Amino acid sequence: MRWLRFAIGLLIALTLHSLLDSFYPNALAFFNPYIILVAYYSMGGNILGAIVAGVLAGFVQDAFSNAMFGLHAFSLTVCAYVIAYINSRLALRGTLAFGACLGGAVIVNELVIYILVSLLVKQRIEMFEQALLVKTIFTLLFGMLVYQLLTLFLREEPIEATRRPAAW
Amino acid sequence: MAVPTDVIPRRPTLLFIVVLAMLFILMSVSSQTRVGDTRTMFERAVMTIFSPVPKFVNWVGTAAQDIHHGYLDMRRAVNENVELRRKVAALTTENLKLRQSEGDQKRLRALLAYAEKFDLQTSMAQTIMLDTAGRFKSIIIDQGAGDGVMVNDVVANANGLVGRVVLTTNDLAKVQLVTDNNCSVGSLIERTRRQGVVRGNGSNAVQLFDIPALADVQAGDRILTAGIDGVYPRGITIGTVVRAEPGQSLFKNVAVKPAVDFGSVEEVIVIHTRKIPPGVVRYAP
Repeated sequence: MRWLRFAIGLLIALTLHSLLDSFYPNALAFFNPYIILVAYYSMGGNILGAIVAGVLAGFVQDAFSNAMFGLHAFSLTVCAYVIAYINSRLALRGTLAFGACLGGAVIVNELVIYILVSLLVKQRIEMFEQALLVKTIFTLLFGMLVYQLLTLFLREEPIEATRRPAAW
Repeated sequence: MAVPTDVIPRRPTLLFIVVLAMLFILMSVSSQTRVGDTRTMFERAVMTIFSPVPKFVNWVGTAAQDIHHGYLDMRRAVNENVELRRKVAALTTENLKLRQSEGDQKRLRALLAYAEKFDLQTSMAQTIMLDTAGRFKSIIIDQGAGDGVMVNDVVANANGLVGRVVLTTNDLAKVQLVTDNNCSVGSLIERTRRQGVVRGNGSNAVQLFDIPALADVQAGDRILTAGIDGVYPRGITIGTVVRAEPGQSLFKNVAVKPAVDFGSVEEVIVIHTRKIPPGVVRYAP
């Protein structure tokens, strides 16, 4: 069931991606729907599930963007792992906690992308700081709104944590 | 050696590192192959699986845009239609006015040319009422005593004789038509100069009286005013003979079709004739 919900979420994220690409071609530079999905899924604390979710969401984003294939999968997997790891320890709940996780995830995601692009393509991302700030704000606002709607109107909770301790 | 299935959940961090390493290798390969715009098979597979979503979104977007543009086009067409209808109405009105003006101009020009034939003083007048259906045939013109119109002034238009003024007010005048029963006009046949009297017969025709049975009168002969009755000046066309038959007495029955169509009289000329003093008229030696 949780994977079905994730699949639906992924389709919605891709739909948003396509819509924004169609009507506001530069909008995705300031907003990332995939990371909201990954953060929401990873809040459950299931590290394995979060890794798979990050990889899948990242592949879809990579397939429909012009980046190196695997770039977003890599960055989203890192974000998913970090959020799931924290939640497996602290079991964070509520909109503010989700907001904090999402905000951190956006920053980590962008930093990872920045580093990977610098390493592999030897390119510098123009106006990185400004884009990071705007992307964090917009993604955070939209993500918290979605979280609020899901918890208030659909009585939805983040996918239940397995509470398995992370270990080597 | 196969990895036991229960090991993976217990080693998520290890799995994480392995996944990251694989993704890094995939990225490296992708960054090399992308130069020639070639995409990896895996990338193609993901795109193929999820391609219905962007296609559907694009289809919905295009359909929505088409509907929106269709609606806008329809609104524009409706507004344009209303505007064009308004323009058509305005142009039709203007066209009618121009046609009216053209007709007026032609008539007035003809009337002016006709008026210049007379050495008498003339003035133009407009018909404002027309009574040709009753027993007494008359019209009312918009010039009266205040404009110099007097009783017995002759009224004509470019086609011929209309009648004479029988009553004036300060700003209007009543004109007795030649078709009126009580109207008599001294006249002559243009071709033979034979004189007679034209009288109205109460309908829209007139008759020429006092033409001897032996006189030469033919259908088509033009009848003019003779200028012998002290009212109508000489030479105004009254009408055309349509029928000349021998009567029961010494005179012929001559039917004349008036030159003027009294149903469509608009502008007329008032000819201010020289009036014979009443004393002279009544004088008997």
